[in-house]
Amino acid sequence: MNLLDFSSNAFLAAFFLYCFAFLFYIIAISGKMWSKADPARHLKRWRVIAFATSTIGTLSQIVYFFTRWIGGGHIPTSNMYEFMSFLAMMIMVAFTVVYLIYKTPVLGVFAVPVAILIMAYASVFPQEVQPLVPALDSYWLKIHVTTAATGEAFFAVGFAAGVMYLLRTIDFKSKEKSAVRAQRWVEVTLLSVLIIVGFIASVFTFRAMGYESDFKQTIVTVDSQQQEHSKIEEVKYTLPPLVAPHQSETVKFQSFLGMDKPLFEAPSWLNGANAGRKLNTVIWSVISGLLLYGIIRLIVRKPLGAAIHPVMEGIDPEDLDEISYRAIAIGFPIFTLGALIFAMIWAHIAWSRFWGWDPKEVWALITWLYYSAYLHLRLSRGWTGTKSSWLAVIGFLVVMFTLVGVNLVIAGLHSYAGV
Amino acid sequence: MFQNTKCECGHQNHIGTVLCESCGKPLQDSSDSTEPLEMRYDGVARKSQKVNPSIIDRVWNFFSSVKVAVYLIMITLLGATLGTVFPQESTFINGDPATYYKATYGTIGNIYYKLGLSHTYTSWWFVTLLVMIGTSLVICSLDRVLPLYRALKKQQIRKHLNFLTRQKVKYQEEMKLDVTPEAWVQAAVKPLKRKHYRVHTEGSALMAEKYRFSRWGPYINHIGLIIFLLAVLARSIPGWYMDQYIAFPEGDIKHIPDTNYYLKNDKFTVEYYKDNELSKEMQGQNRLVAKRYETQAVLYECVDQCSDPSKEPVLKEVDRHHIEVNEPLNYKGFMAYQTDYDPTLRLRSVNPEFRNKETGEVYGKFMLEMRNSKLSYDVGPYHLELKEKYLDFGLNSDGQPVTKSQEPNAPAFLFLVTGPDLPNEGFLYFYFPNQIDKQRFNQQALNEKLSGDWANKFDIRVNGMQGVGLSNTSYLTIRVDSAMPFIWIGATISMIGLIMGFYWNHRRIWLRFDGNRLTLGAHTNKNWYGMRSDVAGILKQLHVSVDPKSLDNGGDKS
Repeated sequence: MNLLDFSSNAFLAAFFLYCFAFLFYIIAISGKMWSKADPARHLKRWRVIAFATSTIGTLSQIVYFFTRWIGGGHIPTSNMYEFMSFLAMMIMVAFTVVYLIYKTPVLGVFAVPVAILIMAYASVFPQEVQPLVPALDSYWLKIHVTTAATGEAFFAVGFAAGVMYLLRTIDFKSKEKSAVRAQRWVEVTLLSVLIIVGFIASVFTFRAMGYESDFKQTIVTVDSQQQEHSKIEEVKYTLPPLVAPHQSETVKFQSFLGMDKPLFEAPSWLNGANAGRKLNTVIWSVISGLLLYGIIRLIVRKPLGAAIHPVMEGIDPEDLDEISYRAIAIGFPIFTLGALIFAMIWAHIAWSRFWGWDPKEVWALITWLYYSAYLHLRLSRGWTGTKSSWLAVIGFLVVMFTLVGVNLVIAGLHSYAGV
Repeated sequence: MFQNTKCECGHQNHIGTVLCESCGKPLQDSSDSTEPLEMRYDGVARKSQKVNPSIIDRVWNFFSSVKVAVYLIMITLLGATLGTVFPQESTFINGDPATYYKATYGTIGNIYYKLGLSHTYTSWWFVTLLVMIGTSLVICSLDRVLPLYRALKKQQIRKHLNFLTRQKVKYQEEMKLDVTPEAWVQAAVKPLKRKHYRVHTEGSALMAEKYRFSRWGPYINHIGLIIFLLAVLARSIPGWYMDQYIAFPEGDIKHIPDTNYYLKNDKFTVEYYKDNELSKEMQGQNRLVAKRYETQAVLYECVDQCSDPSKEPVLKEVDRHHIEVNEPLNYKGFMAYQTDYDPTLRLRSVNPEFRNKETGEVYGKFMLEMRNSKLSYDVGPYHLELKEKYLDFGLNSDGQPVTKSQEPNAPAFLFLVTGPDLPNEGFLYFYFPNQIDKQRFNQQALNEKLSGDWANKFDIRVNGMQGVGLSNTSYLTIRVDSAMPFIWIGATISMIGLIMGFYWNHRRIWLRFDGNRLTLGAHTNKNWYGMRSDVAGILKQLHVSVDPKSLDNGGDKS
């Protein structure tokens, strides 16, 4: 077995260990509802088991990381698969750090699944080690990407604790206007998580079915002499095409549930490589996310927030609030250093300017501005509790847009991290 | 409104003080309230709060508000998102922006362009926002840091009872003491010191404090940000900032406009990934993926005859560097970056012979450079004078020869040939060094049209590859940015401030005895969990057992 295969196995092991750890954390905190044993002893026992499992999982992923580094010859943070799995690893590290400070097993119930989801998301992308383009061939790749991801990982933990605070404090029985609004938004948040699950699920389902359709797309570019050049590119779909690429013709269409041609064509303003395919993926994710949501709702017969709420019973909301804030406060300097300062140093060396308003750069700045507004609101305007938790939740959406959304809808210099 | 700002402890406070600067007694609400105190900035009067504000005071007040600062941040944030909707003008070199947006994105694109969003980040409103954020940074900081410094400088040890009971971390207990309260207080010093507190006692009262420096973190961060923003603005000072994109054909020395420097591309090399090094999906498609490319550059400085165009400048070599992506040349802040390359080989020089076409007699050879061509050549008894040169030959709409660019894509030379057995005025002869251009532009027909029969008697041609020079082109970005050191200084200071402010917390514990009753209050600017466990840990060592959570006295923990 070569090193890269070993590395992939370590990755898989980590993934399953995380899943088990997630389960154990649930057992640890929900046990008080069904365990016959002394609840305190039950909690003590299961939280040790859960923490051990998640720590072994993290170590296993660290093994994956370093063996892939050695086997591939460069640090595995240069494409979407590698970056997202690194982010998942750092979320687990951040979770471990915060757990060691606060010793709250319930955090595991929310932070570990965030890592699992991001890891599963990573697996959607091609897993081969790819050659580095010269622009990436710098030790700043290691420094910039790893520190930025570490900062973002702490934001993810802040997000998890924020969601927990909301699930803990929102009154799911109340019919009051403000409570109903809060309930709705919690549902929206949970639904968006399910859409990501839906995305991963649909990609893997159709991959297992070996689904494929092909298109020929004509791409028109205008050169410096105002002359139009058209180029024909082949676009491969692995999800049934509801949306065809802009200006394309079908080469091969594998019919799906009686559908044998695309329903419509992608609009021209969607930039970036393979915009049509990406839009198609987004639509599929939304559909399968909604489907999942519907199924779960049918099973639990109440809104998801209201279903999770009882699990949070007995947990001090103030602790959750502080964990969320603390994670963000730990992450903020790291993020500043990695995503802005190191990024500027590298950009200065590689692209000759430390700042060029590339979309990715702008979104890193937006993330930074957002969290600095969060901190000012909290420190100087006393926004704590519910308000602060909502900000932490939205903040992580901004982070994810910066990491994924920018590559999805806007093309730029960072496009080699392509989706 | 006249307000008596003198506290009962005798301290004269500034107008707007919330908590007496000396004893901490709450001044602004009724004394029977038990709500936790607002401890922000230790309850000092901010500098901005004046009784009769003038216009300047009002502007100061406006910018000193954190609320305004947060609004400014949020507006900047939203403004910045607008600029990522479509590519900015600065990121593409193709075409005219006025037509580009409409052609590429339709009406929305046109509106985007008309609104000036195609250059969001250089627009007046965005720059104004940044300047306003900078102003807010200065004023907010000054407004708070000076009073806060004053308040922390002179803290009283024995605080007002109300101040202690209204802290967010509180402990109050009637103690059964074996020793005097004074001795109990002295015994508390040791465990506090072990936790790195600085301890001050005064009879039966105590104050312990640690990591006060973390309170300066935010202000140091703000100073760094201000230096950073000023450095960015300083780039508009003439001579501080230069940015050029220049093509350097291999072997050429080129003058860098607006500087005293000349740069020579001595050799350009590019190395591609081998097919088996590519990932599987990229293999077998004849994809050329560059692994590395580098320019061996020599930098010269002009030392004499620099501004006289009629004289050759005198150059002195000052630096040599293998410029690669991620490896720029840096000579005293003059930077040259590998940005792009054109692997197409272009003709650099040829060494053709001049001969008699009918007899085949070769009169001689001459060296013809595409750039910096000499104006006359002597070949045997003949004399060739260069009349016109077209580096990229083409015909305009009137059928007149023109050069389409300054790149030697299709070089053509028009010579006037004089010498023995020729008419006095000589004859004109077009020469295309590239074989393909000879046919494309029909050299023979051109020459016959110009000079009739003479064109068939003589011939310029390249015989063999000897003397033929080919070169590819390296594109470098040339940049001078004198603000860079300040950018890095600002970023470093900012980072130091962030670390100070976020990884340490300012913690204080006050306690006093009233008879045998112990009252303890504690405050931190962050991390209440840590504050409570500090207090509980210390009390435990003094044989007072409390659950950390029970110390929580409510109130927002920001």
